[in-house]
Amino acid sequence: MNHSHVRGTVSNPAGHPQGDPSVAPASAGPGRPPGALGAALKAEGLASPQTRAGGAAICTLGLTLGFQQRDVLCNIDLDVAQGKVTALLGPTGSGKTTLLRTFNRMNDMVSGYRHSGDVLLDGRSIWRSGLDTMALRRKVGMLFQRPNPFPMSILDNVVAGVKAHRLAGRAGIRPIAERHLREVGLWDAVATRLKDSPFRLSGGQQQLLCLARALAVDPDVLLLDEPTSSLDPVATESIEALIRTLVPRLTVVIVTHNLAQARRVSDRTVFLNRGRLVEHGDTGQVFENPAEAETAEYISGRFG
Amino acid sequence: MAASAPVAKPEGGAGGVPLPLRLGAAMRGSARRGDVIRWAGRIGAFIPLLSLCAIMGVLLFEALPAIRLNGWSFFTRSVWNEGTGYNAQIVTTDGVKHLSGSSYGALPEIVGTIGTSLIALVVAVPVSVGAALMIVERLPRRLAYLVGVFLELLAGIPSVVVGLWGAVTFGPFIAHDVAPVIARNMPDVPVLNFFRGNTGNGEGMLVSGLVLAIMVIPIVAATTRDLIRQVPILPREGAIALGMSDAQCARRITLPWVRSGIIGAVVLGLGRALGETMAVAMTCGVLLGALPGNVYTTMTTIAATIVTYLDTAFLDATGFAVRTLAELGLVLMVITLAANVGARLLVRRVSGTALPIGRGV
Ligand SMILES: Nc1ncnc2c1ncn2[C@@H]1O[C@H](COP(=O)(O)OP(=O)(O)OP(=O)(O)O)[C@@H](O)[C@H]1O
Ligand SMILES: [Mg+2]
Repeated sequence: MNHSHVRGTVSNPAGHPQGDPSVAPASAGPGRPPGALGAALKAEGLASPQTRAGGAAICTLGLTLGFQQRDVLCNIDLDVAQGKVTALLGPTGSGKTTLLRTFNRMNDMVSGYRHSGDVLLDGRSIWRSGLDTMALRRKVGMLFQRPNPFPMSILDNVVAGVKAHRLAGRAGIRPIAERHLREVGLWDAVATRLKDSPFRLSGGQQQLLCLARALAVDPDVLLLDEPTSSLDPVATESIEALIRTLVPRLTVVIVTHNLAQARRVSDRTVFLNRGRLVEHGDTGQVFENPAEAETAEYISGRFG
Repeated sequence: MAASAPVAKPEGGAGGVPLPLRLGAAMRGSARRGDVIRWAGRIGAFIPLLSLCAIMGVLLFEALPAIRLNGWSFFTRSVWNEGTGYNAQIVTTDGVKHLSGSSYGALPEIVGTIGTSLIALVVAVPVSVGAALMIVERLPRRLAYLVGVFLELLAGIPSVVVGLWGAVTFGPFIAHDVAPVIARNMPDVPVLNFFRGNTGNGEGMLVSGLVLAIMVIPIVAATTRDLIRQVPILPREGAIALGMSDAQCARRITLPWVRSGIIGAVVLGLGRALGETMAVAMTCGVLLGALPGNVYTTMTTIAATIVTYLDTAFLDATGFAVRTLAELGLVLMVITLAANVGARLLVRRVSGTALPIGRGV
C-alpha cells in the first residue's frame, strides 16, 4: 500500500520520461542537478574534486551499473560523509539496495553484473587489483533487508565473523558475543538460550542478531538495508538510538522507507529515483527545503 | 456460492430427491471411496515392513541350524571348510546334520565387507561433496549440466562392467604403479601399517574399495548436488558479506544447512557398498577362510563369498553349507540395518541446531 502510494507521488513529477533508467535523459550525466553535489561539497568545505575524498568515507565517481542490458544506477556521484549517518531514500526499485551492495562488492557475484565509474573507500578504489575483498567486506559491514541467520547456535552466529577473521582467541569469543548482543538489546531475550537455534527467534529478533553479528567484526562502515522494517516501535527506537551511538566512530548508510525515521536518525539524506541521484544534502535541508521538485513530491507525498 | 444455492435444481439420476439427502448419499459414496484409498494407503505403507519381516524371517528360519551349530565363534574365526572331501560322512551334532569336519568362521567376510565399504566411503564422500560444491558454485551452468549427465551415466554402468574394468585394467594399474609407492611411504603405525608390505597382484581390499568408491560417488554426489542447490542464497550472501571466504561459507553455512541430507546420501551409498556383489567378487580375489595380510592381497566380502560359493554349497547333501550362507546373508542385513539406524541417530544429533521451520521469516 505504501509502495503504490509512493509510486503515485513520483509518477512523472517534472516531465521526466518514465521507465528504464537507461533511457533517462542525458541530464542525469555529469551535468547533474547543479544544486545537490555543489551545495553538499560546499557544506563540507570540499569544493574541489581533488579533496573530495577527504571527508568522505565512500565516494562514487560517475558510477553506472546494471545487470545484463538494464542500467540500474546511472552516473552516481555521491560522497558518503565520514562518521555520519546517511539516509538513502527512494521509491521501490530505485536502486537503493543495489547501490548499498556495490559498496562492499556484493554485486560482483551476481551474474550479468557490469559497472563503470569508480567507488573510492578511504580514497582508494574498491576495484583496485590486489584488494582483499574479504578484508573489504569486514570493514564494510552489511545488514540485509531480510534477516539471514546462519545454521548454527545463536552464540556462534554472533561470533561467526570474529572466528572467520580470527579477531579473538578462544577465551575472547564469549565476551564479544555478550557485548554485541547487549548492544543491540537482544541479550535479555537470548541469555539463557545461547546454544539454541536462531531460527526459533522471532523475525525481529533474528534481524537484531544479524546486526550484532555485523557489529562484532568491528566494521568502519555499516550498510543497513531497511533494518527496522520487521521491528516493533520500541525495538526500532532502540536501534535508532544505537545507530546514533555508532557515529562518529562508524560511518552508517541506512536505507529506509520510513521518512520519519530518516529524519530522526540521519545527518545527511540522499534521494534516489529510478537509478539517478536526485538530491543529496543535510537531512534538515532536504526535508524542509528540497532543491528538487522530485524530492519535494516524494517527501510531501508521505507527509500528505 | 451463496447466490447459486437457491437456484440449484435436482438433476441427473437423483432427480427429485431433496438436496440434503442427495448430499448425504454423495458423502457416503465418497466416504466409501475414501475408505478404499485409506486402506490401500495403509496396506501400501505396510508392504515394505512386511517384506522386510518376511525376508528376515525366511532367512532366519533357513539359517537357524547354522546359527546354533556355528555359534559365536562364527564371528571370531577365520575358517571355511565344508567337510572332509569325497569321503565326508554325514554326522549329526546337536540335532543338526552336517558333513564331518565342516567348520565355518566368517571373520574374513565381515572384516572384508566393512573394510571395503570404509575405504569406499573415505574416498567417495569427500570427492562427492567437493564435486557437488564445485558443480553448484563454481562451474558455469552448461558445464555443470554436462558433469551431471556424466554422473548419471557413471551411476548407470552395470556393476559387472565396472568389475571387469577393475579386474583387468584398474587392479593391475594400482598393483604396479600406485601400491608400491603407498606401501613404501606409509608409516608403521596401527591401522596405517595395513597399507604396508606385499603389494599383491591387483586383487584386494584397496582395489575393491576404490571400485566401490567409483560406484558410490555418483549416488552421493548427485544427491548432495541437489541438496546444495536448495540452500537459500540469503544466509550464504550473509556469510560473504561478513568477509568469509567461499570455503568458509561452504563449510560453515552451505554444508551444515544440508548436513542431515548428506548423511542420508552417505548411508544410501554405504548400503550400495556393503551389498555390492559382482564388482567386488571380480576384484577381491575371494580368499575364503583367511584374513588378508594387508589391503593389497586377496580377501573376500560377505556378498562375494555368497555368490562365488553358492554352487559348491549346493553340493553339500546335508544343506548345512547353504544354511551357513543364509547365516552370512543375515549378518549382512544386520550390518546394513545397523548402519541405517546409526545414521538415523546421527541425524537426530546433528539436527540439534534446527533449520528454519516454515514461518516466513
Ligand atoms: N540481480 C539482478 N538482476 C537484474 N536486475 C536486478 C537485480 N537486482 C536488482 N535489479 C533491478 O534493479 C532495480 C533496483 O533494485 P533494488 O533492489 O536496488 O531496489 P530498491 O531501491 O532497494 O527497492 P526496495 O525499496 O523495494 O528494496 C530493480 O528494478 C531491480 O529489478
Ligand atoms: Mg531494497
